[in-house]
Amino acid sequence: MTREGTLKSLHPVSEQWRSLDELSGTSEAETFAASEFPAAWDEVPTGQARRDFLKVMSASMSLAGLGACVRQPEEKIVPYVKQPEDVIPGKPRYYATSFTRGGYGFGVLAESHQGRPTHVEGNPDHPGSLGATDPSIQASVLELWDPERSSTVIRRGKPASWDTFAKEVLPSLEKIASDGGQGFRVLTGAVSSPSLATLIRSLRMRFPNAQWHQWEPIHRDEVQLGSELAFGDIKEIRYNFAGAHTILTVDADIMTDAPGRLAYARQVMSRRGQGGDTGLRTYAVESYPTSTGTVADHRFQAKASEMGTFLSDVAHELGVDGVGPGHSPLEAEAKAVAKDLKRGGNTSAVVVGDHLPAEVHLLGLAINSFLTSLGTIVEVTEPVHIHPQYKLASIEQLTKDAKEGQVQCLIVLDANPVYNAPSHLDFAQVYEEHIPLRIHAGLYQDETARVSHWHLPLSHYLETWGDVRAYDGTVSIVQPLIAPLYDSKSTHEILALFGGELSAKAADLVKGYWEAVSQGGDFEAKWNRALHDGFMADTRLEHIPYPVSEAANKVKMPPSEEGLEVVFRPCPNVYDGRYANNAWLQETPRPLSRVVWDNAIYMSPKTAEHLKVKNDELVRLTVGDKTVEGPVWVMPGAAKDVLTVHLGYGRTHGGEVLKGAGFSAYPLIESSKVAFGARVASVKRTYEVVTVQDHWTLQGRNHVRHATESEYRANPDFAQEPKKHVLPLSLYPDYEYTGRAWGMTIDLGACNGCNACMVACQSENNIPVVGKAQVAKGREMHWIRIDRYFEGDVEEPKFSFQPMTCMHCERAPCEPVCPANATVHGPEGLNQMVYNRCIGTRYCSNNCPYKVRRFNFHLYADWDSESLKAQRNPDVTVRGRGVMEKCTYCIQRIKEVTIQAKVDDHERIPDGKIRTACQSACPTDAIAFGDINDPNSKVAKLKKLPVNYTVLEELNVAPRTSYLAAVSNPNPELGEDSPKVKAHGNHH
Amino acid sequence: METTTSGHNQAGYVPPPDVIDRSETYGSVTNLIGSIPLEPRIRPGWITGFLVGFALLQVMLLSVTYLLVHGTGVWGLNIPVGWGFAIVNFVWWVGIGHAGTLISAILLLLKQDWRMAIARFSEAMTLFAVACAGVFPVLHTGRPWLAFWLLPYPNSMQIWPQFRSPLLWDVFAISTYATVSILFWYVGLIPDLATMRDRAKNKLIKYIYGTLALGWRGSAWHWHRYEIASLTLAGLATPLVVSVHTIVSFDFAVSVIPGWHTTIFPPYFVAGAVYSGFAMVLTLLIPLRSYYGLQSVVTMRHIHNCAKVMLATGLIVGYGYSMEIFIAWYSGVEYEQFMLITERMTGPYALQYWALIFCNVITPQFLWFRGVRENLVLLWILTIVVNIGMWLERYVIVVISLHRDYLPSSWDMYSGTVWDWGLYIGTLGLFTTLIFLFIRVLPMIAIFEVRMLLPDAQKSEEKKA
Repeated sequence: MTREGTLKSLHPVSEQWRSLDELSGTSEAETFAASEFPAAWDEVPTGQARRDFLKVMSASMSLAGLGACVRQPEEKIVPYVKQPEDVIPGKPRYYATSFTRGGYGFGVLAESHQGRPTHVEGNPDHPGSLGATDPSIQASVLELWDPERSSTVIRRGKPASWDTFAKEVLPSLEKIASDGGQGFRVLTGAVSSPSLATLIRSLRMRFPNAQWHQWEPIHRDEVQLGSELAFGDIKEIRYNFAGAHTILTVDADIMTDAPGRLAYARQVMSRRGQGGDTGLRTYAVESYPTSTGTVADHRFQAKASEMGTFLSDVAHELGVDGVGPGHSPLEAEAKAVAKDLKRGGNTSAVVVGDHLPAEVHLLGLAINSFLTSLGTIVEVTEPVHIHPQYKLASIEQLTKDAKEGQVQCLIVLDANPVYNAPSHLDFAQVYEEHIPLRIHAGLYQDETARVSHWHLPLSHYLETWGDVRAYDGTVSIVQPLIAPLYDSKSTHEILALFGGELSAKAADLVKGYWEAVSQGGDFEAKWNRALHDGFMADTRLEHIPYPVSEAANKVKMPPSEEGLEVVFRPCPNVYDGRYANNAWLQETPRPLSRVVWDNAIYMSPKTAEHLKVKNDELVRLTVGDKTVEGPVWVMPGAAKDVLTVHLGYGRTHGGEVLKGAGFSAYPLIESSKVAFGARVASVKRTYEVVTVQDHWTLQGRNHVRHATESEYRANPDFAQEPKKHVLPLSLYPDYEYTGRAWGMTIDLGACNGCNACMVACQSENNIPVVGKAQVAKGREMHWIRIDRYFEGDVEEPKFSFQPMTCMHCERAPCEPVCPANATVHGPEGLNQMVYNRCIGTRYCSNNCPYKVRRFNFHLYADWDSESLKAQRNPDVTVRGRGVMEKCTYCIQRIKEVTIQAKVDDHERIPDGKIRTACQSACPTDAIAFGDINDPNSKVAKLKKLPVNYTVLEELNVAPRTSYLAAVSNPNPELGEDSPKVKAHGNHH
Repeated sequence: METTTSGHNQAGYVPPPDVIDRSETYGSVTNLIGSIPLEPRIRPGWITGFLVGFALLQVMLLSVTYLLVHGTGVWGLNIPVGWGFAIVNFVWWVGIGHAGTLISAILLLLKQDWRMAIARFSEAMTLFAVACAGVFPVLHTGRPWLAFWLLPYPNSMQIWPQFRSPLLWDVFAISTYATVSILFWYVGLIPDLATMRDRAKNKLIKYIYGTLALGWRGSAWHWHRYEIASLTLAGLATPLVVSVHTIVSFDFAVSVIPGWHTTIFPPYFVAGAVYSGFAMVLTLLIPLRSYYGLQSVVTMRHIHNCAKVMLATGLIVGYGYSMEIFIAWYSGVEYEQFMLITERMTGPYALQYWALIFCNVITPQFLWFRGVRENLVLLWILTIVVNIGMWLERYVIVVISLHRDYLPSSWDMYSGTVWDWGLYIGTLGLFTTLIFLFIRVLPMIAIFEVRMLLPDAQKSEEKKA
């Protein structure tokens, strides 16, 4: 049977409505909608509640003057740390809620300043976050306040209202309902919200034959199919690397592109830091460098189509029954890897990339089963998504039905298929021509909204209620921090609308659902607990020891392909394009390429040479009969003959920010994210791709230091070499610190270059966005940047990341040169920047050896957009034109704690009480911050490690931020290729 | 005078030309110089030159306005290159401003008689160059309207400027230099202003010169006080000649940036300043003296001497360049070696570097030849080349050093925008405009001093002795 056949026969798409009752174990869910809950603020306030009411009122009044757009949500929400009566103006409060992407939740603590969400941090207790975030989570705050978000109901391009919508559309649905609702279709993304699924399901009462379709451009169909082939049904496959010894990732980016990415990054990288020595060894085979592969102990390059044969080689060497050798170009490496995997036994695991064919996933499971790591490293559970569908088959079915005239009404719920549906479906055309009633609900008036009859504004997750499951199944409640800024409704409310509930509140719908399925006990207490903690206890899905089907060993690998192949990947920043209007994400350099505001056709230097193209050259990229045009960008470390294109660009509608950013590669995608037989032809024009780092190598300099484990053992002080003779002499007397002295360490062994810190810093410190043209001039404003260097052979380089921010030097070169005295040394050792005093000579920046200072060459901060004003952190100055700025070690956070300590009359501040924004965001715990005068603080201890070193110590500036050298753990059998620094590709 | 030099006459030795044409008399000199500001007609050459300068001055006004409206981002600056054209131009103009004080103060103390004919003019040039230079430090700041914070004045915030900063030293050095130069120039003008007063026919003009002459009547007491004031000011100005560019060089030398952090900067900057100052004096003097027929007062002796000073300082500058390279190599510091050897000579700005070497090191070698020094056209072209070279020197120091310092990740490129050029050209306009105004309204040569060089005066001097 063909693959398509397998896929389809296993999952007849018409079987759409699965019972949710088996999940919830109750049928009460159907009646949930009837229950009603009084909103907290509807009551006439008395006593304590009255005081709260007045406080909230006064806060609202004062804010009305600022932005007139801040309103408290009506429902009672439970603060994470403090009870509502503690509201003190100027003191932020934190609420647990959950960010959702691709149907997986990430628990966050959102910071609220008098009702305005300004920043999010990871929820340390949430398994999907472990206290960390990634760039898209951090940037979700900006999405909330985005002035271009959809704010009103649109009827055929003209503003309308919910009332008109209800009046005009709902009656017309009666006709569809009357014949069983066969023509009524709902299209959503992947859904793991139990309450939402139940709502969709409950629509069936009105439209018994309606169908629920799902589409996610970055779908995991192949993973699902692999699990289905292995276990007979779709299962969730997740990992727990905490006890792993050997990990092989096969074109899989577990750290920045996986449902459990934050947890995985923590599990893997936190063990690699601080000088390593953990017995963990990671191998990565990649077609394009990712955060996972670049920090692996061994990284091999192969085409995506060679991954299957490589894995066959591994399986064959391991002795997995019935698997013959694949004879991949990396056969020798495969043998060494297999040996290592075998040695690790059930502490070894293989992880296969989402875009690889199901057969490879199946073989991966067979290997994991052979290694007996199912249950130790690899966990197989019931699906996290509710009613998981094959997304491709689902949208194909929808298009087919539409063409046949079977679709009378399509509700597109938070999806953008007109932009990102598979190209062979001609979805945009079918949608416009064959569907009589098209309703789109989304955060933006995007491409799909434009061709819909109705566009309904959707509420942002920070302004509405919902629920979601994390990668391990843990349920979180999404609770709002603010009432919807615009006249929007949540997905829940919109679905309820179609069910006839015109004024249902998301809060009631979500809470009602959980109350209905609650089994015994005090529901209110459990509910409040869940809101407070950010997740529901004991909702994790447990591993079930399903046996892997015998067939897995006999699966035939797709053969590797000749010629150019294209791999389409989600953009690490804008994902599938849904965040394209988020300027923070657009301006954050893509990891490794460090390109901003664009995507490109990434290829290895040799491939570019072979194709006779160079950077910035516009080429026509053709796959089959489809062609797109995009610029070339040479990427060392990409596999030969592989072109990698990030998705999510070339959007045309949904804001001004996204306009002009990159080109869309969706027209090239049919069923697979890997396309073969690509052709490239130059169009003899150029397009400026802007990168924030023009230089590839360290020029033989030793700013980044690393060693292999054996080198480290032989010479624990390797990071101190070569010894520089530094006399700590200064013309001026040194500062003395009798009290606290703040310091930081950044662990190069743990950093995987994911950029979370950059966006966290941007959000925390009101850092403006400058736009592509200004970045091209070298004027980006990020206070922390991730320097990326290549070492060794330019075709197969080694990579290193170095987060670089203000070092807060003891003898800071910036301080004595400022004629206005605007940058001064603080009593606790901070190098302080006094914006008000700065006249902008830029001498401080010139004299900074680390070049971490940033200058407002123009008025970069947006002083006009009302909604953006509300996003800003009120504890941090919004800088004007002509002023220098730089990292402050989050002085506002330091001060908040130290002032409180003074008020409370206890001078000692417990270690870890102050966390900088970058430190908080870091998924791998690479950043430590604290009082270096306290010998028991974590940072003081880390600074005593032999791997601790400072960059440019010979300049005698005595930086407060030091680095921990990376220690890798390569396999001696593969040759101790100690990464000697070699200058290659001097400038390109 | 001939008798004194003829004693040294050897084979091939040609005695230097006189500092003044011996046929000139008191009256003819006064007439020659004093009539220029008072002549009623406007010469076509003057009006053309003035209008060109004035047009360029409008470019400056436009550039400044655009800059103030949009911010320093209109220039090509970035991080890491936080200083560009503005500082290059600043140092260049300050350097040009060096010749005047050197000529009027140091040469006065050294009793060099050839300074007399060119001192007034050079001092005026100095003032105008310093005025052009002064534009940049203020405008290059991000918030020029707050530039007064650089001044140490008591304020309610009790904040003082950072006295450790070389930029603050600049403020003092430049302002002192400008003040002393203005005083020196003005004091030197007083006797001539009185002459102009006496010669003027128009009542208003007479009144203006009279006011400016501060009641000078030429009494012996006046001359006595004048001599004392002049000497005192010369004494005050002499250290300033050295200190100004020394302190300007500290802007760079005090920093930690390879290419800037160099102890040789003070002497080499001063030499470079004198070099460019004399080049600019010649650039202006050669056409002026022929246009106004001043050859009898500004003789070939002056031209020769200026060219020789250029040759000497040019050699010092060349020595400075080679020492920079040598010390970078000798230090063993990889960043220094990279910057001064690899980067300057072979980096993306290598063209600018080699152009600088051509302009500043190769070109002055021609000045060894008398024939070159006497060929006014060739010499004039040469001075232009040197001025370009000195501009390039500052460009190389400021831009190349900044664009690639310690961490390769932060390296970036710099190039001036149309607004960078606009302001630079604009200050050239300001300079030209002021020079043309000066030669039209004031005697560009000190009449009374030149008269002292006349044979008659010399005789009476000898008698006194």
